[in-house]
Amino acid sequence: MIHPAKLIKNAVCCCLLAIPTLFAQAQDDTGPDYEDILAGFDDPQRWLTYSGDYSGRRHSPLTQITPGNVQQLRPVWTFQTGTTTRGRGFETTPLVDDGVLYVTGSNNYAWAIDARTGRPFWSYRRNLPDDLTYGASAPVNRGFGMLGNRLFMVTLDAYLLAMDRRTGEILWERQLADYKVGYAATLAPLVIDGKVIVGISGGEYATRGFIEAYDPLSGERLWRFNTIPGPGEPGSETWPDDPEVLARGGGGTWMNGSFDPELNLIYWGVGNPNPDYYGELRPGDNLYSNSLVALDAESGALRWHYQFTPHDLNDWDSNHVPVLADIEWRGQPRRVVMVGNRNGFFYVLDRVSGELLLGEPFTATSWAREIGADGRPIVLNDGSDGCLPDPWGSTNFMPPSFYPGLDLFILNARETCATYVPEEPANAPGQANFGGVVFIDGEKGYGALRALDVHSGELIWEFTYPSPTFGGVTTTASGLVWAGDHEGNFMAFDAASGDNLWHYQTGSRIWGAAAMTFMLDGQQLVLIPSGTTLTAFALEPLR
Amino acid sequence: MQYSLSSSSRLCLLLNILLPALFVVAGLSIMASAATAQALAVNPLQGQSRAAYAGGVLFRAQCATCHGADARGIDSIDAPDLTQMWSQRDYSDARVFAIIRQGLPGTIMPPHGFTDTEIWMLVTYLRSVAVTGVRELPAGNVMRGRRLFADQCADCHRVGQFGGILGPNLSNILQRQSLTAITQAVRAPQLAVNPDFKTVDLITAEGRRLRGVLRNEDAFSVQMIDEGQRLQAFKKSELAELRFPDVSLMPAFANAQLSTGELADILNFIEFAHTESGQ
Repeated sequence: MIHPAKLIKNAVCCCLLAIPTLFAQAQDDTGPDYEDILAGFDDPQRWLTYSGDYSGRRHSPLTQITPGNVQQLRPVWTFQTGTTTRGRGFETTPLVDDGVLYVTGSNNYAWAIDARTGRPFWSYRRNLPDDLTYGASAPVNRGFGMLGNRLFMVTLDAYLLAMDRRTGEILWERQLADYKVGYAATLAPLVIDGKVIVGISGGEYATRGFIEAYDPLSGERLWRFNTIPGPGEPGSETWPDDPEVLARGGGGTWMNGSFDPELNLIYWGVGNPNPDYYGELRPGDNLYSNSLVALDAESGALRWHYQFTPHDLNDWDSNHVPVLADIEWRGQPRRVVMVGNRNGFFYVLDRVSGELLLGEPFTATSWAREIGADGRPIVLNDGSDGCLPDPWGSTNFMPPSFYPGLDLFILNARETCATYVPEEPANAPGQANFGGVVFIDGEKGYGALRALDVHSGELIWEFTYPSPTFGGVTTTASGLVWAGDHEGNFMAFDAASGDNLWHYQTGSRIWGAAAMTFMLDGQQLVLIPSGTTLTAFALEPLR
Repeated sequence: MQYSLSSSSRLCLLLNILLPALFVVAGLSIMASAATAQALAVNPLQGQSRAAYAGGVLFRAQCATCHGADARGIDSIDAPDLTQMWSQRDYSDARVFAIIRQGLPGTIMPPHGFTDTEIWMLVTYLRSVAVTGVRELPAGNVMRGRRLFADQCADCHRVGQFGGILGPNLSNILQRQSLTAITQAVRAPQLAVNPDFKTVDLITAEGRRLRGVLRNEDAFSVQMIDEGQRLQAFKKSELAELRFPDVSLMPAFANAQLSTGELADILNFIEFAHTESGQ
């Protein structure tokens, strides 16, 4: 264990040595390597990647906090970010290694924080331009990627930064795209062997989405996968034969993907086609919008795809954490990927082949109630029969959790009622072009934490909230479910029954964030971001 | 390959191809909807700015050809200025709803296949661009109005700093609502419950019954103003019963309790107080 004072001393030394890549290898000798990230939750004192491991299950093996003692849980410290997020949330998942938390905040703030006291070692703030586009409307960030002594963070002006984790100093930065057109970046980079994988935001602008891999040391770009095909490329037949339409086809990739190291495949969700609500100018299925894509990690080549919402008109991005699990399926072991989709359906796919195994609604959506034999939704209501789920969807990017053994997929569902009014947009660079407006009838909305049987999609239990929520879900192996709601409650539930066991009012809606947990000096800590605060909980005061 | 139609192409189809059929459908729906007429009497989206905004987009896409992008009408085709609708004619929201859905027989105004919500969005938009407020306040006695306000209204409502907190502040009501709307709110308040003043009924574990106005709620607690105008909060787990009845705490004032002349007195007092306050 490194004493904080020693860390600071190291940091000072490194300040003098920073910048030249000559020293990069030596600096990277300490800190977690790829094998450590691959080991996932094996070391209970670490949380090294957005979901805790590559599977996206957000299921920690920790068991100190139980349904029997969670009532004694108390806040042990609160960290104030000093930066607000108008209209959105504090969406990050902190990483932790050696007692130090690495936390990104809104407006591209970031910190290294002592997990024992909540006091920062360093603070970082990116000097952002004042003419941000998408980044101004959603000035959020979901976390760091980490490798060795490096942290990786994306920015609202669409850069990827590599930082020295001991000092917060920038080692290199690479422009992902031109923010002035409408691009931004908000996700937590996914670090795999020799690569940092990132995606891009901006589907509400005339942009074209992509997923990219960068060399963690040099910052060199290794590959790019365009989510909207170029003219003549596979998938372009699902678009009009018009290069301009393809070039602004949308398909953002703004939420973290998952990784199967054995198959060497990356699974990533793709967002809405552009314009969001106005489909007249883009007849066709509009691949690979609203799809899950499986990419070869080495080359970025597309292995398979599944499109959840063909020709989307409702901004139902499929930017969800893909949840990987090896389960018994109809009597056979099967490697699956699961998605609770914004369109209101819960899906199970074979993650080797992309074959659809299950697609069942988890909300009262009238859009569709079943998936046809051809794998396409049977659309019953395109809006002409009233109420559709709102553009924020039946769930959203807030992480769900898979509880192995119970085989429950647990997510926060949103029941909403919206009317879409399409309108032909202007397509000016830097101007949002939703292609219409939406009216959401707030009186008819509510939220619910729902646990689905992954084998059938059947609702096993639910806990309802007064309003639709954006809070994420984490589970721990002691039989607990951790969730947040739009009224600001951070809550613990019995995973088997759904009974609420504990709650704490954080004072601000929990939006886009899910809890993370780790062991520190023999105590299990649980952290939740909310509003402008990061709060740590434990059963006893920290030593 | 088959694609689902976007909403706008759907509307175009409805307007251009299905019009004859719609006359039949609209006719049937008039008969079928007699039972729901009461429910439709009130605009559920009344005063919601987002609904007005979306309704404006719908209006510009679907109605502006005849009524103009600003809803001020086009003289040459005899399409009326809709911003004057509520000041020149005593239309209810429900009447405007019916005209949009069924059209006006004998005129160029056709029936429309919009959903209920879409029509209410249009009505809300038209309300938002309409010339608002009480245009010609009926004559009344300010001093008598002040007494009546103190006796009949001030338990719950305020003018300036004077009055109670259970109901909306009425200081600017004459600038915000038409005389028709104000009269309806007094005579038949149950027709349109203000969403900011929802009623809550609860029974505590000890059997104490409370009624009041909902201020806030989450999964575990409820915050309210009780009828004694005290701010109270309760844990849901400690309540024997919790209900949100769809009624207004505002009692209906029939003519016998408050004559039209007396209402005019009260409104003149409100107007006087508003003018005196310099707002």
